[in-house]
Amino acid sequence: MFGYVTPCKMEMKIKDYEKFKAYYCGLCNSIKNSYGNLPRLTLNYDMTFLAVLLDSLGDNKIIFTKFSCAIHPLKKRIMINNNAALDYAAFCNTTLAYYKLMDDVQDNKTMKSKVFSLFLKNYLTKSKVEYNDVMMYTKEKLLLINTLEANYNGVSIDELSHVFADLTGFIISFYYKDAAFKEDLYWLGYNLGKWIYIIDAYDDLEKDIKSDSFNAINSLLNRNNLDFKSFSKCIKPRIDYILTTCAEQCLKYLNSLPLIKNEDILYNILELGLMEKMNVVFNKNLGVDYIKGVEYKDGKSL
Amino acid sequence: MANPYEILGVREGSSKEDIKKAYREQAKKYHPDQYGDNPLKDLAEEKMQELNEAYDSLMKNTSSSNSYQSSNTYNSSNNYNSSSNDDHTNRDIYQSIRMDLNSGNIPSAEQKLGSMNTKTAEWNYLMGMVHLKKSWHDSAYNFISKACSMEPNNIEYRRSFNELNTRNSNYRDNYYGRRNNDSGMGNMCLNIWCADSLCECLGGDIISGC
Repeated sequence: MFGYVTPCKMEMKIKDYEKFKAYYCGLCNSIKNSYGNLPRLTLNYDMTFLAVLLDSLGDNKIIFTKFSCAIHPLKKRIMINNNAALDYAAFCNTTLAYYKLMDDVQDNKTMKSKVFSLFLKNYLTKSKVEYNDVMMYTKEKLLLINTLEANYNGVSIDELSHVFADLTGFIISFYYKDAAFKEDLYWLGYNLGKWIYIIDAYDDLEKDIKSDSFNAINSLLNRNNLDFKSFSKCIKPRIDYILTTCAEQCLKYLNSLPLIKNEDILYNILELGLMEKMNVVFNKNLGVDYIKGVEYKDGKSL
Repeated sequence: MANPYEILGVREGSSKEDIKKAYREQAKKYHPDQYGDNPLKDLAEEKMQELNEAYDSLMKNTSSSNSYQSSNTYNSSNNYNSSSNDDHTNRDIYQSIRMDLNSGNIPSAEQKLGSMNTKTAEWNYLMGMVHLKKSWHDSAYNFISKACSMEPNNIEYRRSFNELNTRNSNYRDNYYGRRNNDSGMGNMCLNIWCADSLCECLGGDIISGC
């Protein structure tokens, strides 16, 4: 369900793009140092955004280091290390991945997720004591989502997505839990979490309808059991409204945060990156390549 | 609305006490309960509503908290529960819900709304505002659009509803504005290239080596 919060690369300055990549590599490295090699497989972009955001509010200096990556051995790369925000993001990445896997174990009982989750459990014991609250909260909320998804009758889409949204808000604002801007951080996280939960559901809509498995949008809103084509057509404006509002709210709360660095990256992601992702997901489902769509329009005007 | 003083049968500029007294007398006379199944009951109900409105508007002009309370005790002591008087007490509740919303006390506002039975346009609007504060965008949109369809002429509801849509289109435009500029750029290159190809057929060349 992760990996939707990415920059809009075409609108980025190269220095920002390189910096974002350095955060990404730094996150991977931090996961390796704190938890070991296996959890690195769970690395994702959403958590890179978390690190960039949390780091932007601290006045520490960014330390860049050159290194060669084991997975991409041919090129020298730059990463950020010795960074508390990255370490926290590494912890969140591993925790979320672990409890998500536990869910999968309960849901479909595949051997792969079972073995993987057992390994991750060992790694997680290495995390810092002060993060225990986050671990408990994550466990509790993901369990609650599971229960709600199993008994979804009479639950609204806002109610269901609230749990994941609240968890995201909690995780993001926990890092600065005594700061004055904690509320703004929470609401940014809340809206981003809701956005992630709903775009993920829409992205999986076709697959889930086919395999008849739970899907937040299909199970809650498709009352007449329409097939994918007609349902996606009539539900799209509503989902588009929810997603755009969430994204717009994220931007609004970002505006009220006292950012010290990384501004351009954050604005790029929340202003353009989210919109771009929505565009891709919406048009993928319609079976229209959105780039081709533009060319067609241009072709006609020629 | 007709002159509220006339409806209550008092002189213009009467004191609060006088207005209250007149209202009570009239209310006793027109109280719909005493008509039973008599066809006059409907008429009485209409008159009662008129009285309530007149009374409200007069009391709003003078400072109101005491008189509001006394009129409420009057209602409850008479066990009068027709819809017009519900409106009357509801207005107080809506007022306090608006105060909760302004001060950011969302749980209290939500609880008050939840305990109400009559779901008027205002109820839907205020519920929409509560959900907006909670970032429950989908249900907020539904509540506010319901308020609008129940009272299409209400400017407040309409304005909030429009706001929901404009803030989204502003956000979208920012993205599409930039991306479309780019495709315009691509389009221009394409035009030059086409022009070049055409010219080459005729022996000319705009872009050399192409």
